[in-house]
Amino acid sequence: MTDVTNGNAAAKKIRTTTTRAPGLLLSYRTEAAIAAAIVALMLAVGMFVPAALSMGNMQNIIQAAAPLIIMSLGVFLVVLTGGIDLSVGSVFSLTGMVTALAMANGADGVTASIAGLAVGLVFGSLNGFLVTVVRLAPFVVTLITYAVAGSLAFIVTNGRSMPIGAPDFWLLNSGELIPSVPNHLLFCIILMVVLEYVLRKVVLGRWFYAVGSSAVAARLLGIPVLRIKLAAYVISGLLASFAGLLTVSYILNAEATAGSSLMLQAIAAVVIGGASLFGGTGSAIGAVLGALMITCIQNGVNLIGVNSFWQGSVTGAAILLAVLIDRFSNKNRL
Amino acid sequence: MEPVQSLGGGTVAAAGQAFTRESLIEASNVEKSYGATRVLRGVDFQVRSGEIHALLGGNGAGKSTLVRIVTGLTPRDAGEIRFSSAKTNSIHPIIAVVHQELALLPELSVAENIGIVHARSGFSRSSHRRMRDVALNALDLIDPAIGREIVDLPARKLSLHEGQIVEIARALSTGAEVLLLDEPTANLTAGETAKLFSVLKRLVHDEGIGIVFVSHRMKEIRELCHVCTILRDGITVVNATPVALLSDAEIVQQMGQPAHDVAGRLKSKKEVRQGSPVEFLGPDDARMEIWPGTILGLAGAPAGPTGLINPLVGAGRGAGWHVSGEGFKGSFSSPSQAARAGVGFISGDRTMKGILSQLPIVDNVLAARRVREGRQIVGAAERQECLDLVSALKLKAVSIWDLPASLSGGNQQKLIVARWLGLPLRLVVLEEPTRGVDIGTKHDIYALIRHMADAGAIIVWWSTENIELLELCDAIFAFDTDGRPKGFLSEERFTEDGLAELTGMAA
Repeated sequence: MTDVTNGNAAAKKIRTTTTRAPGLLLSYRTEAAIAAAIVALMLAVGMFVPAALSMGNMQNIIQAAAPLIIMSLGVFLVVLTGGIDLSVGSVFSLTGMVTALAMANGADGVTASIAGLAVGLVFGSLNGFLVTVVRLAPFVVTLITYAVAGSLAFIVTNGRSMPIGAPDFWLLNSGELIPSVPNHLLFCIILMVVLEYVLRKVVLGRWFYAVGSSAVAARLLGIPVLRIKLAAYVISGLLASFAGLLTVSYILNAEATAGSSLMLQAIAAVVIGGASLFGGTGSAIGAVLGALMITCIQNGVNLIGVNSFWQGSVTGAAILLAVLIDRFSNKNRL
Repeated sequence: MEPVQSLGGGTVAAAGQAFTRESLIEASNVEKSYGATRVLRGVDFQVRSGEIHALLGGNGAGKSTLVRIVTGLTPRDAGEIRFSSAKTNSIHPIIAVVHQELALLPELSVAENIGIVHARSGFSRSSHRRMRDVALNALDLIDPAIGREIVDLPARKLSLHEGQIVEIARALSTGAEVLLLDEPTANLTAGETAKLFSVLKRLVHDEGIGIVFVSHRMKEIRELCHVCTILRDGITVVNATPVALLSDAEIVQQMGQPAHDVAGRLKSKKEVRQGSPVEFLGPDDARMEIWPGTILGLAGAPAGPTGLINPLVGAGRGAGWHVSGEGFKGSFSSPSQAARAGVGFISGDRTMKGILSQLPIVDNVLAARRVREGRQIVGAAERQECLDLVSALKLKAVSIWDLPASLSGGNQQKLIVARWLGLPLRLVVLEEPTRGVDIGTKHDIYALIRHMADAGAIIVWWSTENIELLELCDAIFAFDTDGRPKGFLSEERFTEDGLAELTGMAA
C-alpha cells in the first residue's frame, strides 16, 4: 500500500502495513529479559555457592515458587483489568485452616479440598460483587476482605496451627500424577499455558486487555466489562485457595499466618513480570517468571548466607530495576 | 453597550470608553508544526485593552494551538509575540485562561481557591483572613453581591456560572489584563449567559482589560464582541475586524472550507426506501421518522444531540428520547444491549471512549466484529480481514501489531471507523467522526459513511461543523442553544445561514 499524503512534500516514504505477527522472541521480549535475568542471577549465585545450580536446589526453588506462581497468575488477571487484589494472602491462609479443620473433623480429602476452594470462591465472588455491582474501589474492597479473611484464619482454630494427616486425595497428596513430574510443577505449567493461550488466542482473553486499556471504550463496544472484572476476582480467589491447598498438602500443617507475606510478593511478581498496575498490559508467562524471580532471589540470599532480613531489600531493588527497564524500553506507551 | 466603530485604522471604541486602547498582546506570523502537519502557517493576532475580541475558526483551524502558544503552554516554531503591560515592571502573567472545564479545587472554599495562587511559596503561612480579603476584593470587581454570598462555600457547591465567576476573579486577582474564555457559555443556561455577559462588558468597560472570546454561537458573538479574528487552515483570514462590518454569511464563509463541490454528490437518492422506518420520539412532542439508508444530521449545542444519542447507544441517561420501530423498543439500558440490536457507535471522545490503548491495532480494528459476531477464538483469518480494512481505509500503519499510539490522530480516527465497516448494522451513531482529521481523510470518511448508509443502515451523525452536515446529510435535525429540539431544517433553507439561524450557532 502506497502512502500519498497532501501537497508539497515530494519525498514520500513508501510504507507497507505488515500482517506478519512479530516473532515469539519479539512479542515476549519482556518475558525473555526476565528469564535471562533469572538465569544470570542463578549463575551469579552459583559462582559463590556451586550447590545453587544442583538439581536438588532447582527442585527446592520450584517447590517454593509454586504457590506464589499460582497466586500471581490470579492477581495478574485482576491487575490486567485495572484492579488489584490484596486479599489473596489471607484467602491462602484461611483455605489451609479450613481444609485442615475439615479433615480433623473427619472429612475425606475430596470434601476438605472442596471446602478449602469454597473459601476462594466466596471471597473472590465477594470482591467481584463489591467492585462491579456496588462499585467500590478495588483497593478498598480487597483491603476489607484481606482483613476479614485474615482474622477468620485465626478464629476458626482459635489461632492454633492444625496438622493434617497424609490425605488420600490426589490433589492433597504431593505425589506425581505424571511419573517424575512433581504435581505442583505440573499445575503451574498447566495453569500458565492455559491462561496464556486464553489471553492471546481466545477473544475472551483479549477482552481482559480491552477492559484494562479503557473500561469506558470497552463498555461502549458492547464488551461485558463487569462480568470480565467479576471473573478476574473469582479466578484470583480460587487460585489463591488452590495455592493454599498445595501448600498444606506439602507441609502437612496449616497455619493462620502462612500467607501473610505472599500478597505483596504476588503483586511484586506481577509488576516484575511486566504488567502495569493501571491495567491492560502484561502476560501470564511474565507473572510466572516474576514469581520465579522473587523465589530465586530469596533462595540466593539464603544460599550465600546473607542475613535473610536482606531479602526484602533485594526484592525491592529487583522491582525497581524491572519497572525502570520497562519505563525506558517502551517509548510507544503513553 | 453597543460597539461603535471608528473609521481610522480599524480601531473600535465603545461609547464612553474610559481607557485608551493599547495593544496588550501582539502576535505576528506565528508558525507551528506538529510533525509534518503545519497547524499554524503565519497567524497574526492582536488583543487590545477595553475590547472583547472573538477568536473564530472551524475545527482544526488552529484556534486552540494559537491559544496554547499565546499562553505559553506550547513553544512556537517561528513568529513573534509581544506583551505590553499597562502596569510597568510587572512580572505577573498578563493573560489568564478560563477553560470550559473549570479548574477549581472542589473541596477548598472559594476564598482558598482564589487566594491559593497568591502564596509566595508552599511553606508560607496560610492566613485564612488574608485569603478571604484577596478573594473578596477580586469578587467585588465582578459582583459584590455574589462575592459575600459564595466566598466561604466549598467550590463543589457552586453553580457553573458561579464557578466561572470565581475563575475570572482568580485571574483578575493575579493582575491578568487579558482574559481568554474558551467557549464559556457551552454549559450555561440562557439566564446565566446573560449574567456572564454583563459581567464581561463591565470588566472591559470599567477595568479596561482585554477579553478573547472563543465561541461558535453567532448570536453571542454579535451581542458581546467588538472585533473578530478568523482563522482558517492555520492562517488569519480576518484580522481584528469589527463584527458589525461582517454579515453572518460572511463570517461563516470565512470560517468554512472552500470545497463545496461535494454537496449533493454524496446525497442519497431520496426515493429509494427500503425496509421500514424507525421513529425517534423526544421531549416537546418532537418526532422523527427515519428510513433505513438515511443519514440524519444532528446540529446544535451539545446538550441536545447527546440527549438523543445516549439512549440510542445505551451509554447513559438521555433527555427523554426513545426509539420505536421494528427491532427497536424504547431505549437501550446498556451498550451491549444496543450492540445486540445492531447499533454501532463512534464516540466523539477518541482517547477515552474509543481507542483501546494497550491493545495492538489488529485487536482494536476487530473489536466490534468480535463482539457482534460472538467470535470465540482469535483466528488467523482475522489478520487478512484486518489488513483488508486497513488498506480500504488507507490507514497508515507500519504494522498491525503496533499499539494505536503509533498512529497519528487522523489515522486513529480511521481505525475507529474501520471497526464498523462491513458489519450488518441497523443504526450507526457518530459523534464528530472527522474531528482532528485533514480534508483528504475527511472525504474518505464521508464516503465510508455514505457506504454504510447505502448498505441499509440509519446513520445518526452529530457534528459541530454545519458545513459538513449540509454536504452529507439527507436530513438535519436541529437543537437550540439550550439543547431543546427545534425541528428539521427545511428543504428550502438547507444552507449554512438556515442552519445557523435554526440552531443559533455559527459553526
